Amino acid sequence: MSERTRSKALRAIVWTVVFVAVTAMMISIRDRLDRVHVTLAYLLVVQLASAQAGRAVGITLAILSFLTFNFFFLPPYGTFAVANPLDWLVLVAFLITSIVSAQLLYRARALGAERERLSAASRRAQSLEQSNRMKDETLAMVSHDLRTPLTTIKGLAHEIADAGDERAEVIEEEADRLNAFVGKLLDLSRVTMGTAALDIQPNEAEDLLGAAAQQAQGFGRELTFHVEPSDSMLFGKFDFVQSLRVLVNLIDNAAKYSPAGAPIDVGARRVGGELHFWVADRGPGIVDDDRERIFEPYYRRRVGDADLAGAGLGLSIAKGIAEAQGGHLTFAARDGGGSVFTLSVPAMDLPVDGPAMDGGAAD
Amino acid sequence: MNPSSDDVVLVIDDEPQIRRVVRNAMEAGIARVVEASTGRAGIDVAAAERPSLIILDLGLPDMEGADACRAIRSWSAVPIIVLSARGSVPEKAALLDAGADDYIAKPFNTIELQARVRAQLRRARLAPAASPTHLVEADGAVIDLAMPAVKRDGATIHLTRTEWQLLRTLMQNAGRTMTHRQLFSAVWGNAYGDAQQYLRVHIRSIRRKIERDPVRPKLIVTEPGVGYRFQTEP
Repeated sequence: MSERTRSKALRAIVWTVVFVAVTAMMISIRDRLDRVHVTLAYLLVVQLASAQAGRAVGITLAILSFLTFNFFFLPPYGTFAVANPLDWLVLVAFLITSIVSAQLLYRARALGAERERLSAASRRAQSLEQSNRMKDETLAMVSHDLRTPLTTIKGLAHEIADAGDERAEVIEEEADRLNAFVGKLLDLSRVTMGTAALDIQPNEAEDLLGAAAQQAQGFGRELTFHVEPSDSMLFGKFDFVQSLRVLVNLIDNAAKYSPAGAPIDVGARRVGGELHFWVADRGPGIVDDDRERIFEPYYRRRVGDADLAGAGLGLSIAKGIAEAQGGHLTFAARDGGGSVFTLSVPAMDLPVDGPAMDGGAAD
Repeated sequence: MNPSSDDVVLVIDDEPQIRRVVRNAMEAGIARVVEASTGRAGIDVAAAERPSLIILDLGLPDMEGADACRAIRSWSAVPIIVLSARGSVPEKAALLDAGADDYIAKPFNTIELQARVRAQLRRARLAPAASPTHLVEADGAVIDLAMPAVKRDGATIHLTRTEWQLLRTLMQNAGRTMTHRQLFSAVWGNAYGDAQQYLRVHIRSIRRKIERDPVRPKLIVTEPGVGYRFQTEP
């Protein structure tokens, strides 16, 4: 027998005892009692029992009191016969009142429990929201508190370097590295927070490629762009800034891991319900053993030059960003050698009319 | 090219070390510097000194950055460059909407800060004299807002009315990043419906018409997550 059932049974017994005691007491002073006294005493017992021991006990006691009321307190005493027909009315009214009140009390109890449960859930949601906000504020504070002194260090190092001390350039570079690290911490928190931290909007593919081309200017590589099909507008639902970072990171990796002068191709393509952004290089590719592992955190590609590794976004964070916006980041070997990385995001179909299409777009 | 020595830059920042770095960067032949350490004091100094440019650090103890921007913008057209340690895109867009002219993330590169200040000072000097750019010849395209007409490599190009409005808004604010919100309300009035999408559709079709290579735009440049900028110089 469970704890719960046991305490329920115990309460039923207690209320039955109370009922018997009240009945016995009233029988002993029956001559001085009016019907009203009996009715009220029983109602009180039935209602308290319903509230405390539940509906079943309440209704059982209501029926029992109906019977004892009739048997002990309505003349002729000691039988279920009723002398005055109006007493039937009292009896039936008593039965209905006590059963209805048992029901009502039960429902009130259930509502109370539901309200309790809801308010607990809302408290939980509130505390989650609060902890998220606190995390945001903490991150903002950490980035402020770290970046403000970094600004001073970087600025003063620049002045010293200008004055001719080359060592100060190292200080400036290291300040940049530390700043990149702060940025990574912020990225990581963005990925763990999921969609909440993203700004997902209708965006156009050429716009993203153009922004990537601009940011990749510093990589010193010739990029060739491909948009397929070239005559239609490719729209997707994605976070522009974060997708741009993923794409630029892929181009950066392609530039790092492929021989200087080898071409890098970048493209956008509609594939079913998805919009694909791909970056293809003619580098050494990725050995089979590593294909699963490249997206794991802390993975570093085995390359001779240790300086190459460790910079940039990291494929695991890039993959996290892709997935948080309902897409993927995948790798495939390229025909003829090299790697193809693909960022896919949900594609979007443009409505054929509306203010967006005032006759100009189709020219 | 030596900038006019009358230029005064007001630096509003509660961190004395940052003020020092910015002052040194400015006094290397760009401008004289006045300083304030709170937003309130900054607004007062801006009113009293009438600086040529304001560098406003966010995270001031007494005031939100956007509020300080709006307060100054309510009576002055002085260029405002915002410095922020957050470097978040929504913050940047919100500040540009509040009237800031440029936004630099901390820690900044001194050379870049100097370049951005010079660009804003030049723009401010040109603005009252010349009317907004009417004629642009760049990268093989000739755009004449007065006509209005666009030619690319000698051939006339047809733009729709919406495209003209969008291009005009961008050109009249050449060199300045216009936020999505600013562009949308300039072209469509009240922002309703799928603002982001309309804007993307039209930017893409203008680029396809006026840019030599629409995937590598030289005239209408994307400021990721914030807006677009018409570039007059490479």
